[in-house]
Amino acid sequence: MRREPIGAGGAGGASRLAAWRAPLAWLACLLLLAAGMAWLEPLFRWFQPDTRQVIYPHADFLTLLGRHLLVVGVAALLAVVIGVGAAVLVTRPAGRDFLPLVAQAASMGQTFPPVAVLALAVPVLGFGTWPIIVALLLYGLLPIVRNTLAGLQGIDPSVLEAARGMGMGGVQQLLQVELPLAVPVILAGIRTSVTINIATAALGATVGASNLGAPIISGIVNGNTAYVLQGALLIGLLALAVDSAFERLQRRWISSGIG
Amino acid sequence: MIELIEVTKRFGSETAVDRLSLRVEKGELCALVGTSGCGKSTTLRMINRLIEHSEGEIHLEGRQVREFDEQTLRRRIGYVIQSTGLFPHWTVARNIGLVPRLLKWPAPRIRERVEELMALLGLPLESFADKYPHQLSGGQAQRVGVARALAADPDILLMDEPFGALDPITRESLQAELRDLQSRLHKTIVFVTHDMDEALALADRLVVMRAGRIVQQGTPLALLREPADDFVASLLGGDDRGLKEAAIIRVAERMQPLSPRLLPRARVHRDATLRQALAVMFREHADRLAVVDDEDMAVGELSLRRLVESRREA
Ligand SMILES: Nc1ncnc2c1ncn2[C@@H]1O[C@H](COP(=O)(O)OP(=O)(O)OP(=O)(O)O)[C@@H](O)[C@H]1O
Ligand SMILES: [Mg+2]
Repeated sequence: MRREPIGAGGAGGASRLAAWRAPLAWLACLLLLAAGMAWLEPLFRWFQPDTRQVIYPHADFLTLLGRHLLVVGVAALLAVVIGVGAAVLVTRPAGRDFLPLVAQAASMGQTFPPVAVLALAVPVLGFGTWPIIVALLLYGLLPIVRNTLAGLQGIDPSVLEAARGMGMGGVQQLLQVELPLAVPVILAGIRTSVTINIATAALGATVGASNLGAPIISGIVNGNTAYVLQGALLIGLLALAVDSAFERLQRRWISSGIG
Repeated sequence: MIELIEVTKRFGSETAVDRLSLRVEKGELCALVGTSGCGKSTTLRMINRLIEHSEGEIHLEGRQVREFDEQTLRRRIGYVIQSTGLFPHWTVARNIGLVPRLLKWPAPRIRERVEELMALLGLPLESFADKYPHQLSGGQAQRVGVARALAADPDILLMDEPFGALDPITRESLQAELRDLQSRLHKTIVFVTHDMDEALALADRLVVMRAGRIVQQGTPLALLREPADDFVASLLGGDDRGLKEAAIIRVAERMQPLSPRLLPRARVHRDATLRQALAVMFREHADRLAVVDDEDMAVGELSLRRLVESRREA
């Protein structure tokens, strides 16, 4: 019911943007490198003088980056919906019996190697993008489920007692109290999940999903280290950009409420 | 009015509350005391149905609590707990406005009510409305807890060791405020406490529990004077009972008119308790005190003899 303190207007807006400096800087590096890889040709040639072709030629890096992001993004979205949903369900009175089962299933998901998931998924889903999305989804589920559970279970019991005692309904309590209080922990889980998957997504190139893994795989197959380096650099920058963006989000959430 | 009839609560094989019957009249403050684990909190939480009772009946204004919708029931009953349970991600003002918002009051009315309550509980709006709970002291947080419970103006207030975690001075000032509030608002209050002095100071009716049952109930004075058994006597302070009794009688109730004799130098305020008067006598080596009012004008006197004898005639 209370609005922001007065004076949080213009100056506040600028400083808020400034706070995003780190992720924006990484993003700029990433885009620059993806768009201008060709300009670095002399560098790679010096690095690998004997090879005729030193810049990955089969696709434009920006397209590969876009595909990479799409795969990771779709997998993350599904993992968040499924992971947070499952954790919420098993912490409700009605679903409490399934708590151990879900916790176990999620940790199984991470012990199962993504390569094996890919191998098993290809016969069912065919070559292309879907097998890698499924593999990433399974792989990324655990940190999200685990952190959502930890976040929800870590709430001061007296806060929940008060919520119930004041006459909040189950949904009101979840949306207005539990989830907001668990968000920092949930965000940390999503952050882990997404950063791991940015690297893991490269595997998709082995089953025909062309993304930033493609130069790496192609480089390994053809003995062209420059290709590998290009793919790896872009993946690393992408991971850094995304990770620092998450860090900002977490910080912002914390400073906007609970101290 | 709250009435519990033969109420029993079992947790598995353990009986936490055992055929308890209790009637709390409208406007009465009823204090539940007893050793840890005797079922005080359980009794309280059965009234707002945070715990469902196993047997017996609980009536609120003549209706069984089971007939109410749970949420509707709880929004009509104020609830204060020791650890406050304030929402850490909400400001003080928002925390206080919780129940009115659940009841879908229009925003201006909520704001008005929150301001009114903050004033009532001595929380200046400018300095507290936008604070978060972690920025409050224990006493301030507890005030916010009480304000939140009073927000929708419930007739009934359940308080579970509300001042338990506070230092003695803050606790006493909050007790005084509660007494003051109660003299104006006349809520029906069930109050759980471990602090016997707190119970004696606040209660209209004192209920002593043991192992899920009521051992004795009555006014604080009645229990102090005639404890039903040794358990009640020792819970009420053993040999200190006399002093506790003196602590709930005001000097004004016992003082004598001014006599022609020379007024003693030692003095005591008319609103002080007999216990305080006794302390003054002890300190000043006096067996007679002048009783004064707010302007320090003598309005009567009190002798040691009179003080000690006052017990007999009450
Ligand atoms: N949810 C529960 N499940 C199982 N047993 C419970 C539960 N709540 C309370 N009990 C048991 O019921 C008995 C009474 O507990 P209660 O909390 O009412 O005691 P109390 O008088 O409030 O004690 P204290 O003064 O320590 O707060 C205790 O033996 C306790 O172990
Ligand atoms: Mg208790």
